[in-house]
Amino acid sequence: MPTKKMSVQMLLLQFLSLTSSISGMMVTYQGLGLVTNTESPVVVVLSGSMEPAFQRGDVLFLTNPSQDRYMTGDIIVYKVPGAEVPIVHRVLETHDACAVEPLSCASTQRLLTKGDNNPVDDIELYEGLEWLERKHVVGKVRGFLPFIGYITIAMNDIPQLKYALLGGLAFLSLIGRE
Amino acid sequence: MARTKSQAVFKGRTPSPSPSDTDRPAGPLSIVVSPEDRDVVKVNNASLTELKNACDDAVKRYLSRPDLFKQIYLHTDVRLGLGWLSVFTAGGTALYGYKVDFEKSKPVVWAGLALYIFLTLVQTLYAYFIEGETVFVGKRKTFSKRIITERITLSSRTLPIKSTSPLLATLSSPLSVLSPSNSSTSASQSTSSVSTSSLSPSLTTPAYSLSLSYVRSTNGGKSLLAKGKTRSAQPYTAFFDEQGTMDQERFERWVGELVEQGMDGKTA
Repeated sequence: MPTKKMSVQMLLLQFLSLTSSISGMMVTYQGLGLVTNTESPVVVVLSGSMEPAFQRGDVLFLTNPSQDRYMTGDIIVYKVPGAEVPIVHRVLETHDACAVEPLSCASTQRLLTKGDNNPVDDIELYEGLEWLERKHVVGKVRGFLPFIGYITIAMNDIPQLKYALLGGLAFLSLIGRE
Repeated sequence: MARTKSQAVFKGRTPSPSPSDTDRPAGPLSIVVSPEDRDVVKVNNASLTELKNACDDAVKRYLSRPDLFKQIYLHTDVRLGLGWLSVFTAGGTALYGYKVDFEKSKPVVWAGLALYIFLTLVQTLYAYFIEGETVFVGKRKTFSKRIITERITLSSRTLPIKSTSPLLATLSSPLSVLSPSNSSTSASQSTSSVSTSSLSPSLTTPAYSLSLSYVRSTNGGKSLLAKGKTRSAQPYTAFFDEQGTMDQERFERWVGELVEQGMDGKTA
């Protein structure tokens, strides 16, 4: 039946327009992660431990070049195994072998961090480790946008908002045409 | 007269039938549609996209009628296939990247990304070069003395406003152009007038241009019976009234005439 084939096709086409826009965004995010060499190239600040530099709700842009040597004063995002969320703090001390092996020293660096707004350094946050290694570092902060991250925070705290947004997007793309 | 002449010129060949032969299958104008069968089509007549989509849909509905052509869904199927394939590669890559450690997942994610970009590129190139402006591709097989296969392709585009006086173009909205109407009897709701199908070089209202190519053959496509290519344009005001309701009968009549011209082998 011509009409039956048309309606199955039309349904597939409409779903395709929705899913292809979502998949395009996912691919862009992953591609960005590959290019910047970090699993989360864009993160949102959740706590106030870096005030007054970063407030809760700021969006941070990270890169993690493998040959880069991190220095005292750099702001990095790290995730210790066993921790739920990554933490953004400033590097307080670095210990490396760069004086002896300048070419391969970046990957064997050991770091100590502290939040600007915290009274003590982060040793207690390291879940038993005495120092951070490069493999725990998600990336170094290269830039930021203020306040935009509140959307993500709101969607995480109020799940209904997330579903409402997704539902609204799905509805819009299903009733429209390309 | 013409037949004996061609018989004398081409000795060993049976003369090819003239277009007005009884071999010619029924054209769309001979199919009558009762008004109750139609759904009312109403669009936002300020949006050129909606106007064009409504016209394209009307062409597809009209020519897919049971006695007319059977639509070939090749372009749609290719677009669907490539599109869903790219969605699945994107989804699979994202899932893999989520499950596996970042450093270990890098080669696979690179591969997935490359595949996705390749598929998207192929989709874009296909849509631009091969599909182009095609709206409808149809085929019909009729059996009179022998099996006659027809194939018709329609493509359409919107001709935008192109006026010598820029002031005129900005002042006139698509439906406010009135020109002396010719004797065509339009449906009672239509208040706008029809301009003739020949296009003046300076357009003051957007128009819908429909091009058509038609081939009629037999013997499994080996002997060509007729071939036609036509194109015509009408301003959107001819088919849509001020509320945006589409005058489907007039539109179908215009399309039917164009198809019959193509079937008769005219080249425009």
